[in-house]
Amino acid sequence: MLIITRRPGEKIMLGDDVVVEVIEVSGSNVRIGIAAPKSVPVYREEIWTAVKEENAAAAATPSDVSLPSPDPLPQ
Amino acid sequence: MSNMAVTLHSTRFGRLEVPADAVIEFPNGLIGLGGTRYALLARSEDSAFIWLHSLDDPELAVPVTNPWRFFGEFEVELSDEEAERIGITDAEQTSVYVTVRAAEALEDFHANLRAPILIAHGKGYQVINQAGEAPMRAPLFAGLAKEAAA
Repeated sequence: MLIITRRPGEKIMLGDDVVVEVIEVSGSNVRIGIAAPKSVPVYREEIWTAVKEENAAAAATPSDVSLPSPDPLPQ
Repeated sequence: MSNMAVTLHSTRFGRLEVPADAVIEFPNGLIGLGGTRYALLARSEDSAFIWLHSLDDPELAVPVTNPWRFFGEFEVELSDEEAERIGITDAEQTSVYVTVRAAEALEDFHANLRAPILIAHGKGYQVINQAGEAPMRAPLFAGLAKEAAA
């Protein structure tokens, strides 16, 4: 992992489009600002991990559980 | 031709023809699962559970449901940044689904109210719901779970 020391107001570039700025440091809290293109979703890591696990668990649902077998739905 | 049907060779359901207008583009896929094109597959329009099936990965399908069928108080609240990012502003034109963890016993069915899937104008996004009490794992048949515990 790359580790960089920054002060409040200083920024980090991820590629050409994503800017991460240290806004404020207060005790053990760090406020971070992120500017990213619309194509890049930004998540808190623990929420991303939990949703990923829920999605994987849902995708592991056996096909023969008592859910209907499909026909394409019209939009 | 852009209006060609897509042939899906699902490992779950075999060969299916998905009409072009039923293809939903997911620019960011499902969180942690990826995929860029999905379709909703159901036996009939009033099925409680629908499969959101990847058209890119024949093995990838997630059961989803209309949250209001089970959770009358359900709300979706997006941060301004998220709403702007996905460009979905008109609730009337937006379909909302939640993923379902299904199991053998009904009391073990859970829905993820924290990360609903919004679909509008042929595009889909899984978003983080900012509504206060939206749990990641809500029992779909809470009454049954209570009975089983009693």
